[in-house]
Amino acid sequence: MALLEVEDLRVAFGNSTAVDGVSFTVEEGKIVGLVGESGCGKSVTSLAVMGLLPKGRGPKRSKQPVQVAAAEPAGGVVKAAVAAPQAVPATGGRSRGGGADVSGRAVFDGTDLLTLTPSAMRRRRGKDIAMVFQDPLSSLNPVVPVGRQITEVLERHRGLKGAKANQEAANLLDRVGIPDPTRRLKEYPHQLSGGMRQRVLIAIAVACAPRLLIADEPTTALDVTIQAQILELLKDLVDHEGTALLMITHDLGVVAGMCDSVNVLYSGRVVESAPVRELFARPTHPYTIGLLGSIPKLDLPIHEPLTPIRGSIADVIRWRDGCAFAPRCDRVAEACVEGEPALVGSLHAHRCVLAEEIA
Amino acid sequence: MTIARIEKLDRLIEASVSAREAQTGSLLRQSLRRLKRSPMAVTGGVIVGLFVVVAVLGPFIAPYDPTAQTWGKEVFLNRNIFPGPRAENWFGLDHLGRDMFSRMIVGARQTLLVGIVATLIGFVAGAALGGVAAAAGTFGGRWGERVEAVIMRTVDVALAIPMLLLALSVAALLGPSLSTVMIAVGVAQIPIFARLLRGSMLAQAHSDYVLAAISLGVPKGRIVVSHILPNSLGPVIVQATLVLATAIIEAAALSYLGLGNPDPGSPEWGTMLADAQRFLSGAPQLAIYPAVGIIVTALGFTLLGEAMRESLDPRLRRQE
Amino acid sequence: MSTEPQDEAPQAQSPDAGPALLEVEDLKVHFPIRRGVVVERTVGAVRAVDGVGLKVPQGGTYGLVGESGCGKTTFGRAVLRLEEPTAGRVTLGGDDVTALKGEKLRKFRSRMQMVFQDPLGSLNPRHNVDMLLSEPLKVHGVGSKEERRKLAIETLDAVGLPKTVLERFPHEFSGGQRQRLGIARALMLRPDLIVCDEPVSALDVSIQAQVMNLLDELQDEFGLTYLVIAHDLAVVRHLSDRVGVMYLGKLVEEADSESIYENPQHPYTKALLSAVPQPDPEKEATRERIILKGDLPSPANPPSGCRFRTRCPWAQDICAEVEPEWRETEAGHKVACHFDL
Repeated sequence: MALLEVEDLRVAFGNSTAVDGVSFTVEEGKIVGLVGESGCGKSVTSLAVMGLLPKGRGPKRSKQPVQVAAAEPAGGVVKAAVAAPQAVPATGGRSRGGGADVSGRAVFDGTDLLTLTPSAMRRRRGKDIAMVFQDPLSSLNPVVPVGRQITEVLERHRGLKGAKANQEAANLLDRVGIPDPTRRLKEYPHQLSGGMRQRVLIAIAVACAPRLLIADEPTTALDVTIQAQILELLKDLVDHEGTALLMITHDLGVVAGMCDSVNVLYSGRVVESAPVRELFARPTHPYTIGLLGSIPKLDLPIHEPLTPIRGSIADVIRWRDGCAFAPRCDRVAEACVEGEPALVGSLHAHRCVLAEEIA
Repeated sequence: MTIARIEKLDRLIEASVSAREAQTGSLLRQSLRRLKRSPMAVTGGVIVGLFVVVAVLGPFIAPYDPTAQTWGKEVFLNRNIFPGPRAENWFGLDHLGRDMFSRMIVGARQTLLVGIVATLIGFVAGAALGGVAAAAGTFGGRWGERVEAVIMRTVDVALAIPMLLLALSVAALLGPSLSTVMIAVGVAQIPIFARLLRGSMLAQAHSDYVLAAISLGVPKGRIVVSHILPNSLGPVIVQATLVLATAIIEAAALSYLGLGNPDPGSPEWGTMLADAQRFLSGAPQLAIYPAVGIIVTALGFTLLGEAMRESLDPRLRRQE
Repeated sequence: MSTEPQDEAPQAQSPDAGPALLEVEDLKVHFPIRRGVVVERTVGAVRAVDGVGLKVPQGGTYGLVGESGCGKTTFGRAVLRLEEPTAGRVTLGGDDVTALKGEKLRKFRSRMQMVFQDPLGSLNPRHNVDMLLSEPLKVHGVGSKEERRKLAIETLDAVGLPKTVLERFPHEFSGGQRQRLGIARALMLRPDLIVCDEPVSALDVSIQAQVMNLLDELQDEFGLTYLVIAHDLAVVRHLSDRVGVMYLGKLVEEADSESIYENPQHPYTKALLSAVPQPDPEKEATRERIILKGDLPSPANPPSGCRFRTRCPWAQDICAEVEPEWRETEAGHKVACHFDL
């Protein structure tokens, strides 16, 4: 049985839909990728699963994210949630003022996370599921030493106190590859480099040995050599602890090196989903093909024109009218605008009515 | 590659584009839309709107002449008899038997005038100082930096003097009159505007589009005037709204201290408050009307200013 | 310093064929570190760029690659005199850029332009496209209003935007379109050299490819010479004829694009190349990774000897003592390392 099973997840901000029926599963000890460009709904999906989106005008549970932040001034992972509302306008819809209306199911180990009360979700967050964000600086509290930020999580979820907590925090820093951990514990986030901060965030995230780690663009803000270090570290965690990793990224290179299976998102829906080798060997959806053609590769002849996707994500139609990618697709045909395209196939699924012809 | 034209697709794209355009529009329009949704802005706007209407139409809508001591015989100062609110005089009478309601209405104009002129003085002079300082410091080389330092240190010193004290000294120099109050309050606001505009301009001066302008060979003067300045004024204009509130209170304070318009015939809320002081025990209402008027008006401007600041600055926007 | 452009720049030791359009010699940009409350005194310097020289032939593209903090952006800006060089010389078409001052420098800027990383931030939010594009012409006194407008429309067409956008404002465009606007603005004066500082890193993958193709097309159309600065080795390699790898203010390796990928010789280049994730699971599975230890040292206090030694997997004792010389290992391939790796 899958550890996390997301089914028909929908997230709307006011009347703009950010996630439009996303389903995927994450198995224990596997790395699953959610890939797509800005605005495709990949980050919103992860925030919804974590229960970190500001709640919409539903009947109850209003103003939730602000309370989350206020009620838990401690706990690094939860504190990272403070950054979440800022991430929403960037990635999600443009409608302001209201929060997100979330529907669908996100079953984690038999419990639907979306039905949990905020306090029940809070108990799970950090303990069973943890998250690593893109910007390590804004996810850490600038006025609290990193050691304290780690021990807070240990105290909260594992009941460790005092010297014991400190010892464990040092062990954690050591495990994520930070040299001289006891000294680092006393330092403030601004004293650390970007790569170090991301390591601290990962240390906080894995402090309670979560069963699922969600990493939202964990290396986008970092340099390639540091990115390589962090990816190695994440992979190592999965290999040795059996943690499941949901990797959210725009970088197909990262996906190719890290993931076991991939879900490609476009305009709030999964357009293609397959095991990683299968996806790269036989990309089926024109969007996936376009993405792959857009990437400059180190072994291609130089100056040879790339084959980009034309237009921008603003050129979109609603899924219920046809394929949202149709306005940018080179292969577009009448069939593409005759109603909603369905996700076809199980192991290698795609959402393209012309898939037969393309293959 | 030729791309198939599909009429239905074109129609759908058009529909989605027009739906999106309906939602966006210019930055100003987006700000206004946000403003309209903010309860703070609406409350502030209604108060300020009412105040302005009353101030403009004052003499025409006041039921009586605010200076006529029509009911002088009904007031007995020594026996503390001040007729309170009644059908013909909604707010009652003042110590000379004048209609308080009419005085409040007509007084609004003076109050608004003092607020606006004082704010303008502070805005123009402060912005000039701050603007010159920022421009000199950014593009003036070593000499420019000195000019900036001199201006800004002077402003800092002025800022260290309590505002009321500064206003009082100006007022003492000029003698009591309405323009004294305006100038005094205005001068006291100069440092705020100077610092604000300079800070805002320096932030813009380090932006990429200014670097782009330099790299294009745009002359320095033009960069300041056509690039940096227009993009720096937003927060200063918002501040002006907030300063208007302070100015009204300060002006009232100066009038209360007797530095305002010495002409007893023209009503002004601050002066009214000062007059009412003598009768506080017998007729507290005389003080309450102008006091509440001042507070509510200042509150209105403050709410509006804060809401504007939030709507203009996306970083300050709160989730609801 | 002479304010007159040098009539003939020495180009003797150039190994490349053809005269260089852009020539940079031993450029240094040091930012003083000042301390003190009342009296400021200089206590040191951040050596952002510490002696970089390179040549770009007319119509060529030089790619400068390095990680954040290596000084590549400062270098690009110093070439354009947007940052004051501490030492060294920059010549463009034989004219000494470093010697120019005041109005002469301002006029000279029409020959060298810049494309920025953040397309939105580099466009004045209050100027519409017409103003954005005609301003460079206006300040250099080019053409009448109608001519400027005509040129703006031509240039918009060249970057793939319709003339209907003239009245629109930057925030109304998508990221890719904004970068097209930024490029159009840089093209308005028909410069010789364009410095592209991370021209695609702020864009989505599918848009990156559009912009990279556009840069290539424009180079042919307008006979441009590019200095492309980026952290992404694949992007740099794709756009450039020649690539320089920068580390902590210095070049560590320079070679033709093909050769730097096929035969990297500096350990840092090897590590960089091995760290770039490739969109191919087969290759990823077999890719040999050189994971560098630690972080970039402070450019205020660079390591002695070879600057890369603190992170180099092959470092020896000599690396701490002697600074490796900039030597040519094979034709056109230069490297700053003591060893032949």
